[in-house]
Amino acid sequence: MKNKTAFAYTPTDFETEKASNSYLMSLLALIAGLPLPIINLIATLIFFLLHKRSTYFIKWHCTQALLSQLSVFVINTIGFWWTISIVFGTPTLSNAYFAYIICMFLFNLIELAGTIYTAIETRKGNHIEWWFYGPLTHLICKP
Amino acid sequence: MKKISYQFVLIFGSFAVLFFCLSQINWLGIFKVEKITHKTEKTIGKKCWELFKKEQKVSDNPQAIAALDSIINRICKDNNIDSKNIQLHLLIKDEVNAFALPDNHLVIYSGLIDATENESQLAGVIGHELAHMQNNHVIKKLIKEIGMSALITITNTSGGGEMVKEIAKTLSSSAYDRQLEKEADIQAVNYLTNAHIDPIPFANFLSTLDSTSSKFSLSWFNTHPDSKERGRYIKAVAKEKSIKPIAILSTSTWNDLKNNVDY
Repeated sequence: MKNKTAFAYTPTDFETEKASNSYLMSLLALIAGLPLPIINLIATLIFFLLHKRSTYFIKWHCTQALLSQLSVFVINTIGFWWTISIVFGTPTLSNAYFAYIICMFLFNLIELAGTIYTAIETRKGNHIEWWFYGPLTHLICKP
Repeated sequence: MKKISYQFVLIFGSFAVLFFCLSQINWLGIFKVEKITHKTEKTIGKKCWELFKKEQKVSDNPQAIAALDSIINRICKDNNIDSKNIQLHLLIKDEVNAFALPDNHLVIYSGLIDATENESQLAGVIGHELAHMQNNHVIKKLIKEIGMSALITITNTSGGGEMVKEIAKTLSSSAYDRQLEKEADIQAVNYLTNAHIDPIPFANFLSTLDSTSSKFSLSWFNTHPDSKERGRYIKAVAKEKSIKPIAILSTSTWNDLKNNVDY
């Protein structure tokens, strides 16, 4: 799911630290913001906006972190409101609901593991491109 | 761009396939959801009914019970509902009220029988309450208003008197939300037409009896949303159906039921 590739230039220690922090920010916000799915997205967005005018390496990783949070946000939002509608509304517990929650949990777990791995590797100065999010980031983020 | 689209479809597709495969598993059975819900319903229904039995006068008039049973049996038989599961209770009270308790307890007040002019009107109200039972509206309402954890706590403890009182009050004197009420009304019309009972008298009953009537204490109507509006859409649904009404009770049985309403 993730590829270690060469970046356009060798990033400095400052850049690798900031880029790594963009992933850590989403992790911390995810833990702090549970069960609200929007908190991690907002945190990553703020981090992205703060580093919008930073170097290419930092900007690139902030964008990848933000994009990866978008899909988690959509999946978690559906799960969140489905749960709320069961607790306060008319739908009842169903096999589909449990299946969705398990899928959501697995997706979050993969995302979490990927984020931790990317944060560590980025700090070491390695450039990690996620499957789908990497090419998408290249489209959005230009040097 | 093509690579991105392909990867997106693959990620989205994997998620969809995983979701589809997992949803084929009987999670409700694995997590014993149905068993817990059934046990909860059974216990709460029993506790609520014991409370009503203690605080109000229960009719033991066998003719009245038999007449009401005939109406219930007709509706159940023609709509594939197991009538053995319905636990009918007739309370002597002048309120125009009927309500469902968990575990298929159907409580009818004598005031409702007094207020109805014919068996179709009474059958309409019964059909409406049966629809609430069949669609699990009772437990949905309790989960919404009381909370599942509180309900399970009541089930697993011997007491919970105050909570049971609150549940009994909620179910007997407040309506379900508008969407559930409409669903129950429309299903009641279907029940009636399947059972060869004319639904129009039920619609008229709702339209004509309103909260301004001084003769009756109209709990069922006051707590339910806009009776006239309900009467209108029931008539609209009924218009689409063609039925040949077949009487359930003989005229003398209906008159006996009405005349002995104080029991």
